[in-house]
Amino acid sequence: MKRILLLCFMGVFALFSVANAQERTVSGKVTSGADGSAIPGVNVMIKGTSTGTTTDIDGNFKLSVQDGAVLQFSSIGMKKKDVPVGSRSVMDITLEEDIAELSEVVVTAYGVERAANEITYQTEKVGAEEIMQGQQQIAAVGLAGKVAGLQINVQNNGVNPQAQILLRGFRSISANNEAMIVIDGAVATIGAFNNLNPNDIQSIDILKGANAGALYGSRAANGAVIVTTKQGKIGQRFIAGVNSSLTFEEVSFLPDFQTEHGIGWDGHYDPIENTNWGPRFDGQMRRVGPDFPDGYPVADQYIPYAPIKDNLRDFFNTGSTLQNNVYLSGGDETSTFFLSVGNTNTKGIVPDDEYSRRTVRVNASKKIGKVKLDLSSQYFEDESSVVGGSIGDQDRPLYWFILNTPANIPLSEYKDWQNPIGYGYADNYYNAYYQNPYWAIGTNRNNDWTNRLIANVNASYKITDKINFAVRTGINRRTGWGKNWRDAQTYNPDLQPSHADVSSFLTDSEFQDVEFNSNAILSLGTYEFGGDFSINGFLGAAVISSQYRASSITAVNLSIPGFYDISNGTGQLTAAVDQSQKRVYGFFGDVTVGFRKWAYLNLAGRQDYTSTLPLDNNSYFYPSTSLSVILSDAFPVITENPVLSFAKITVSNSTVYNDLGIYDLNERLTQPRFFPLGNTNGFEQSLVTVDPNIQKERLNTWELGLNTGLFNERFKLDVSVFNTITTDLITETTPSFASGSSTFLTNIGKLSSKGLEASFGGNVLKIGDFRWDLNANFTTYETVVKEIKDDLKEVALDDFGGYGTYAIVGMAFPQIKAQSYVRDPQGRVVINPANGNPEIGEVLPQGKTTPDYIIGLTSGFSFKGLSLSATMDYRTGHIYYSQGHDQMEFTGRSMESVSSDRKDFVFPNSSIRQSDGTFVANTNIPISGGRMGFWQNTFNEIKENYVRDATAFKIRELALNYSLPTSVLESTRVLSKVTVGIVARNLWVSLANQTNFSDPEFRNTGGANNDNGVGIGGYLQSPPTRSLGFNLNIEF
Amino acid sequence: MKKKIFILFAVAFASVMSSCNDYLDVNTDPNNPTSADPYLILPVAQNYTARWMHSDRRVSHLGNMLMYNWSESAGFSWYNDEFLYQVNTNFYGGIFNDAYLRALKQYALLDSYDPEVYGAYVAIGKIMKSYTFQILTDFYGDIPYFDALQRSNNPSPKYDAASEIYDDLIIQLTEAIAMIDAAEANATSIFPEGDDMIFGGDMLMWKQFANTIKVRILNRVASAKGDAYVNTELAAIAAEGSGFITSNVVITPDGGYLNEEDKQNPFWEDFGANVAGSPTLSGQATCASDFMIQLLQDNADSRIDYLFEQPATGHLGVPQGITADPAVYAPSLVSNIGPALLQGPEQGSIIFTLAEHNFNMAELALNGFGGDPQTFYEAGVTAAFNTLGAPIGSYLNQPFANYVAASDKLEVIITQKWLAVQGLTAEQSWFDHTRTGYPSDLPISQEAPNLVRPVRLLYPASETSGNSANIPAQANPFTDKQFWAN
Repeated sequence: MKRILLLCFMGVFALFSVANAQERTVSGKVTSGADGSAIPGVNVMIKGTSTGTTTDIDGNFKLSVQDGAVLQFSSIGMKKKDVPVGSRSVMDITLEEDIAELSEVVVTAYGVERAANEITYQTEKVGAEEIMQGQQQIAAVGLAGKVAGLQINVQNNGVNPQAQILLRGFRSISANNEAMIVIDGAVATIGAFNNLNPNDIQSIDILKGANAGALYGSRAANGAVIVTTKQGKIGQRFIAGVNSSLTFEEVSFLPDFQTEHGIGWDGHYDPIENTNWGPRFDGQMRRVGPDFPDGYPVADQYIPYAPIKDNLRDFFNTGSTLQNNVYLSGGDETSTFFLSVGNTNTKGIVPDDEYSRRTVRVNASKKIGKVKLDLSSQYFEDESSVVGGSIGDQDRPLYWFILNTPANIPLSEYKDWQNPIGYGYADNYYNAYYQNPYWAIGTNRNNDWTNRLIANVNASYKITDKINFAVRTGINRRTGWGKNWRDAQTYNPDLQPSHADVSSFLTDSEFQDVEFNSNAILSLGTYEFGGDFSINGFLGAAVISSQYRASSITAVNLSIPGFYDISNGTGQLTAAVDQSQKRVYGFFGDVTVGFRKWAYLNLAGRQDYTSTLPLDNNSYFYPSTSLSVILSDAFPVITENPVLSFAKITVSNSTVYNDLGIYDLNERLTQPRFFPLGNTNGFEQSLVTVDPNIQKERLNTWELGLNTGLFNERFKLDVSVFNTITTDLITETTPSFASGSSTFLTNIGKLSSKGLEASFGGNVLKIGDFRWDLNANFTTYETVVKEIKDDLKEVALDDFGGYGTYAIVGMAFPQIKAQSYVRDPQGRVVINPANGNPEIGEVLPQGKTTPDYIIGLTSGFSFKGLSLSATMDYRTGHIYYSQGHDQMEFTGRSMESVSSDRKDFVFPNSSIRQSDGTFVANTNIPISGGRMGFWQNTFNEIKENYVRDATAFKIRELALNYSLPTSVLESTRVLSKVTVGIVARNLWVSLANQTNFSDPEFRNTGGANNDNGVGIGGYLQSPPTRSLGFNLNIEF
Repeated sequence: MKKKIFILFAVAFASVMSSCNDYLDVNTDPNNPTSADPYLILPVAQNYTARWMHSDRRVSHLGNMLMYNWSESAGFSWYNDEFLYQVNTNFYGGIFNDAYLRALKQYALLDSYDPEVYGAYVAIGKIMKSYTFQILTDFYGDIPYFDALQRSNNPSPKYDAASEIYDDLIIQLTEAIAMIDAAEANATSIFPEGDDMIFGGDMLMWKQFANTIKVRILNRVASAKGDAYVNTELAAIAAEGSGFITSNVVITPDGGYLNEEDKQNPFWEDFGANVAGSPTLSGQATCASDFMIQLLQDNADSRIDYLFEQPATGHLGVPQGITADPAVYAPSLVSNIGPALLQGPEQGSIIFTLAEHNFNMAELALNGFGGDPQTFYEAGVTAAFNTLGAPIGSYLNQPFANYVAASDKLEVIITQKWLAVQGLTAEQSWFDHTRTGYPSDLPISQEAPNLVRPVRLLYPASETSGNSANIPAQANPFTDKQFWAN
């Protein structure tokens, strides 16, 4: 293939060896019709030939022409202009901006900019204003709801939130499904994207399909998010700006809990419980906590036996985030620069949780003759101090302690945990089983510091007018350390007989993660031939090398309280080091053939070599073929109506492969944590076993797209459908554990992922200075497991025993399975006549965790300097497992547990199995243990009870801004822009009508098996929040 | 200039291409080896056996709960599933999963070493596999056996009939003894030393242990397989001549278990105290049952103070499955697990008691397979007291424990065996109870919905999803007894 590509290009060169005829020279200057400034880089072509030049930095050009020639001036973002030379030798030309086209420059692979018409696959662009609309801390969250086909799952809302970026859903069971990130032309990582200062982003181009894979390699199999940061412009005046925002964050809702029964056990009052199985609230003063002995300096605590409104909510603070950014940009005739410094300080809703981040960006470019140098660089660092994650003698997260607070306990009155005569003190605290969360905050801390340098340098050399050679080399290096500790706590056994002492530990860790990537691109330029045809292309090579290293050391039983150094531990220290590396290189080529500027055929291919596959079989080739036809140019007749003004279709097919994980190829022995033991060391076979014939995973995608402009380009409607078939999936299947392994890494089956996305946007209304713009998008997709393996019908992604997420043949992926009721043929719940309790059935599929569809809507109104914009989205048709409800059933705060007044009741719509196998309705046998046991055991065992509808409507962002009018600004002589605004995030969330625990979008962890097991909604995170704030942007 | 650039590019290209394979040869894990000698494999396997037997919610623990030895202190909801007899696919799944994924996997790995050099290791692997597989099939019935443990070569092994597994266990043990003899005859053989946490490389003791396991097997299947089979196999054991164990079989690491994180004795780790000496929650939650305390007190059994901790207020047991949570059963007031079972973090893990072996011999003798049942019985009771360090005094003269006075000899043997293995290998008493119905007056948990004690476990949920093509229909856990109990 490589050779074929080369031959192709040689042929092209031969075609265009131009014979010179009688010539003279014309020269001139091209300027902008808008402001009269010079336009560099304008293509000046002699019409009907392939001869031409481009304007220099001052907009000047010089060209040899024959008499009668017509010069064609074109530049991206400008309207094309044909001018006959006539007898002139000096031609000064003015080009007008082409508004429609300006916004439609698409940044494609390796930073190559292309006009939208030439793009043969589906992309969508999001601009700086849209990304920053909500003043989000990380850009990914700012994309939610704004792009068709893009699903952002905010999985955690701590001080440093995490988001999953999915384009068109899932294509792989075990492999990563998240989109590839490219920052300023260099391949980067999701982490690097999250570490970008969102204020520095100029625009983001979303390549929705796998087409970019042919050029970027495996990582682009899931689509690509191509980020362009802000640059100065050639000849741009100096701008200095400040953007600041201050937002406040508060809990938006807590779990739906009952408030009828309080502290107690099995129907009776118990003053030291974490559970709510006490009698019905009666308002009487009652003791809570230990019965202090005579002479103890603390009196028994008496509080009314009555629910306290918002007793859990009051634990949380109002958080705040202050962001300050200063930026400078400018450019002269040969160079540009953009500098920014950003600082963010966050105080979390959990007391004492703090987070801060700082960024410095330097972007610059310089032209030296035929050489152009570009630098894109950012240094990032962040620091966090949050409550530790393994609190108390049961190693629980903080939220657990808050949730284990009965309804009648005034939680926020226990702040004084250090005072030996306060009720918040460890020995005096009312709860005999779970400690005071304020104590937890003071005695368990995770402190982390990380930094990242993401930078790349691009040097390009213009070999001829058309041929350009560019080399880019980049680094993405993250390092950091962490110090996590827990203080010891002992208890007076007379006051707290049920508490086991809490042991102390300190874990000190460090890591470094570095990725180098380099590529070289030889762009061959555009050539016209045969009158109607054009051809352009490029060749390239790329290398990526990643290395990771982490180490940690843990000391236990610290001798000196409050001193956190490993020297303070007693007993043996435990230490671990983990190191890995991966290398990939590849060669690629891309050629586009155009016909009459309305049809483009693109062929691209890449040959990759990876270190993770066997040395003798470590390469693969991926091709991509795509076609676009601008119907409105090909058949102008279709635009001869008031509605349709532009139409383009694209069709493409591409194949991409996923390779294996680092070191997955060979089975390895590991040292169990119990070793070395005494005088012996030991190693064991891994729980993961690998198919000896394992090979790469294949993804093939068809995409069909339609882009239209309506009502003279006032509206845009884009629709695309896609179908991805993944075969030979590299999957961590669940073998029989009797095989001696719990994970079998092998190639299995077939996954089919189909979907449709549409976006519609434009200016709905324009009356005088009033404008209403709307952008709506619709996404639907479904991934179905077509085959697994002959004798395997499902693969567990995350198995919690009784429930979990699975890939199941013939069903949508991922699927939740849960222990269910036993139902008779009429759908009645079968009970055990001995005790009236429902029988506990099998673990059965309950539904899919990906939505049927997502609708996103961004609407903006503006009137003079005032603008109001909002982004909302609606997702429905999916379910999640409410792990929080499940875990908290034990404590008797569920709404269900008071649904029958804590009495035994006849289970609704139930039946009894007869000896002949038929069923009769149960009308009189009540369940047993309605006071408590039924809920804790039978009801809690039937995990189907915790499957919830994940439907959610969210107003994610709302922004109201006012910009001072130009007239006022001009009078200041200093200011060029002043915008003040109010911003709200997650202002309103509406969930399905059911008992809700948290945000269905949240998720506990990456699964035990992999990150694709979405749908287990957690209790580990703090509750969902909403934010309101102000922002100010000034430019000088 | 143009040329120079092209040359530069070509040179760069060529240099990358020429060093390609070296460049990509970085797929070797620096943190984990791909092979190791068997002396690094065996101790891991044996440590897993100790954990499988004695950790929280593993083999012996289940026996202690189902045989009503142990109960729950107030303030804990620790044993809901046990008290409800909630035998479903999640109930004690760790017994099935950990057997294969931990110990058996490691013992099977020993098979891959050259028997000419490492015959002793291979033989130990076979003996321990037989030990483990018997317990496993006694819990589950038919299980993957002949095709099991082949990892990537067979991710979904078929299930084999329990009775066929039993036959093969005897064959494997015979083979293991022959391999030991062959290894001892071979000058180039390498024998384990301190890496053998059970016998420190004493191969005679391994042969004795193999014979002892055979007796456990033969005693259990005696009625199912018939006298001829048992007589033949017992004769073969006698002919082999190594004899049987003469003390408890204990797993002790070379250098001992240590009072360090993850290095404690596994039973102590879960039911004793953490490294700092704070009692564990499982230990606090677990205490004697009322029935057990009463029985020990009624018969002036000195073991009561060794099996159970005596609170200042005197011994107190708790009925299984009471729904109320009265404060009189607070951990400080009830008899938690006692000092002979929880000696300290360094104690060894008993995986087979001499007492049980004597009771097995007594039962065989009682059934006419040779020997004097009373002698074996009394040796068994004595060994049980010795294991705990309790003075036996005149216990054997108590009507409850006197062999001569006992009207039902089998009952007295099985009842004393139950008392002997409690807290140590209590699962054996559950198997005996299913088979013989003794002790006959054992109470049922108050929360048990059907007033019937379970007789087997169900295959875990992991098998339903991971081995759906082979897993047999789940049996009824309350009525479908194992083949040797019918």
